[in-house]
Amino acid sequence: MSDIWIIAENTLWARTLAAAAAALGKGGKITAFVHGDEAAAKDAIAHGASEAFYLPLPADAPWEAYTPALVDKAKAEKPALILLSTSRRCRDVAARMAALLDAPCFSDGKNIALADGGVTANTLLYGGLAVKTSVAKGATVLVTIGAKDFDHGAPDASRSGKIDTLPLSAAGVSVTGRKPREAQSVDLGAAAKVVSVGRGVSKESDLDTVRALAKSMGAEVACSRPIAEFFKWMPEECYIGISGQQIKPQLYLAIGISGQAQHYFGIRDSKTIVSINKDKECLMNQQADYYIPADWEETVAELAKAIHK
Amino acid sequence: MKKIAVCYKWVLNDGDIRVNDKTRDLDFEKSKPQINEYDRNGLAVGVQLKEASGAELIGITCGVDTEPSAKDALSRGPDMVYYLNDPALAQADSAASSKVLAGMVRSLGDVDVVLCSECSSDDFAQQVGPRLGALLGYPVISYVSAVKLEGDALVMDRKLEEGTESVKVKAPVVVVVSPDVCEAPIPSVKQILGAKKKPANAMDLAGAGLGPDAVKPMVTVQSVKAPLTSRKAVNLLGDGESVADAVAKLVKQLSTDGLL
Ligand SMILES: Cc1cc2nc3c(=O)[nH]c(=O)nc-3n(C[C@H](O)[C@H](O)[C@H](O)COP(=O)(O)OP(=O)(O)OC[C@H]3O[C@@H](n4cnc5c(N)ncnc54)[C@H](O)[C@@H]3O)c2cc1C
Repeated sequence: MSDIWIIAENTLWARTLAAAAAALGKGGKITAFVHGDEAAAKDAIAHGASEAFYLPLPADAPWEAYTPALVDKAKAEKPALILLSTSRRCRDVAARMAALLDAPCFSDGKNIALADGGVTANTLLYGGLAVKTSVAKGATVLVTIGAKDFDHGAPDASRSGKIDTLPLSAAGVSVTGRKPREAQSVDLGAAAKVVSVGRGVSKESDLDTVRALAKSMGAEVACSRPIAEFFKWMPEECYIGISGQQIKPQLYLAIGISGQAQHYFGIRDSKTIVSINKDKECLMNQQADYYIPADWEETVAELAKAIHK
Repeated sequence: MKKIAVCYKWVLNDGDIRVNDKTRDLDFEKSKPQINEYDRNGLAVGVQLKEASGAELIGITCGVDTEPSAKDALSRGPDMVYYLNDPALAQADSAASSKVLAGMVRSLGDVDVVLCSECSSDDFAQQVGPRLGALLGYPVISYVSAVKLEGDALVMDRKLEEGTESVKVKAPVVVVVSPDVCEAPIPSVKQILGAKKKPANAMDLAGAGLGPDAVKPMVTVQSVKAPLTSRKAVNLLGDGESVADAVAKLVKQLSTDGLL
C-alpha cells in the first residue's frame, strides 16, 4: 500500500490519474491537486481521491506558482509517487518539484510499476525509435503520464473527503495577458482516414492537389512538422508526431514523408499505413503496410484518376 | 543585462541511428554527434538578446566528450563556450545534467538570463530547463514562443494547451524556448572561421563547485530496445511495372479492406 499524489491540469486528466493511482497504490491514500475550483476537487474525490486540493488559475501569475507550496507539502508527507499530467504546465511543475525534492522524475512514463526496489517505468528514446526501461529509487518518485494511458471509472457521488486549496507563493513573474487558443478547424484524432504531406511536396500550391485527393477519399489532411512549423503551410494543430498530434486512423496515407521516429510515433497505432515516397529505403516505406516508391505527383495523379473511376 | 548563458546538448544525430532487426538493439555506428536541434533555436535567441542588450553570450554544455561541440556552438554566436566532461555523465539523467549546468552557471557568476530549449532529441524529457531554474532559485518561464527585451525586463509569450500566456519578468531568469521562438540560421563560412578565434574553456566538477554526487543519476537504465514493427512493408511497384500498375494494386487492396 502506498500513498500517491496526483497533480492534474483539468478534470478529465484528474480522473485518469486517479484511476492510475488507485491501480498503483493498492488502497493507499490518494491526494489530488487539481487546476480549477471546488467542483473540480469534488469530481476528483468522486473518482477515487481520498482528499483533494483545488488550485485556481491566479489572475496575475502562472499556475506553476503553486510549486513551492506543493514542494513543502511533499517534503512533509513524502508520498511514494506523484503522478502528473503531461500538459505543459504540469511538466514544468513536475521538473521543478523533482529538482527541489532532489527526486527522480520520468517523463511520459508507461508500464509504471511500484515495488520495494523503486519505481520502474518505460520511457521513449530518440523520438520513439526505442523504449527505455529504467528504475528510480527515492523517497518520492515523480512520473508524468499521458491522458489516454488509463481509463477512468464511473464517478461515485457518495464518496467524501477533505477539500481544501493551497497558498500561492510570489512567483517573481507577472502575467500580463492570456489569449485562448483558437478553435481547432479539424479533429484529426477522430478522422477515420488521414492523408498527410511532408517535405517531399515542394511547394505550397501542391497542397491543393493533396487536398483534392483527400476530399475524394473522405479523408482529413495532416502533415509532418516542418510543413507546419517551418513552412507554415498548415496550422500547427495539423502536424503529426511526438510533439504534435498522435492519431490512430483506419488509414494513414503518407505523401513525401521520410518517417523519422518522431513522426512515426504519432501514427504507430494506425490500422493501415500507406507510404508514397520515391526513396525506396526510407523509414516511412519500411514501416508501412504498403508503399509505392515513386514520385508523389505522378502517383497521386494516378490515384486520383483511379478513385474517380 | 550583462551576462547570458545558453545551454546546449551534444547529442547523436538520431536520423542516422539504425535498428538491428534481430536483436532490436540500436546501432549508433553511422551516427555522429551534433548540437541538439532544439538548442540551435536557444542559441539563436541568445544572439538576439545579446544584440539587443550588449550582454556577453556564453555557451555551456556538459557530457562525456563535448570539446568538439565548442566550434559548432561558437559559430552560432556565443562569445565563448564552457564545456564540462565527466565519464559519469554517460549515464546522466535530467537530474544530473541540471545539477552540473547549475554549478556551471553559478561559477560563471551573475548570469542574468539562462537560456535552454524545451527538450533534447535523445530523451525528450523536457525537464532540464525547469529543474535548472529551481536549482538556481531563478524564476522559470517555459514553453516560450516569443521573447523581447524591454528595459531590464523580458517580455515573453508562452504557448500552452489552452492558449498563449504573456509574461513579464526581471532578470535573473531561466527561459526555456520552444522551437518556433525563432529561426535557427545555418552558420555562414565567416562565422565558422570566426569560431576558431573564440575561447572554448574546459571546466571540471570542482571548478563548477560540485562533488562527484552531482553526476550520479537517480534513474538507472535497465534496457533499451526498439519496439517491433509488425507492418509488412509491401512494395506495390514491382520490377518493370508502371506507377499506374502500383496504384491499381493499392486501390484494389484498400477497397478490399473497406478503406476506399
Ligand atoms: C525533438 C524532435 C521532435 C520532433 N517532433 C516531430 C514531430 O512531432 N512530428 C514530425 O513530423 N517531425 C518531428 N521532428 C522532425 C523529424 O525528425 C523529421 O525531421 C521530420 O518529420 C521530417 O519531415 P518530412 O518527412 O516532411 O521531411 P524529410 O525528412 O525531408 O522527408 C521528405 C521525404 O520526401 C521524399 N521525397 C522527396 N521528393 C519526393 C517526390 N518527388 N516524391 C516522393 N517523395 C519525395 C524524400 O525521399 C524524403 O523521404 C522532430 C525532431 C526532433 C529532433
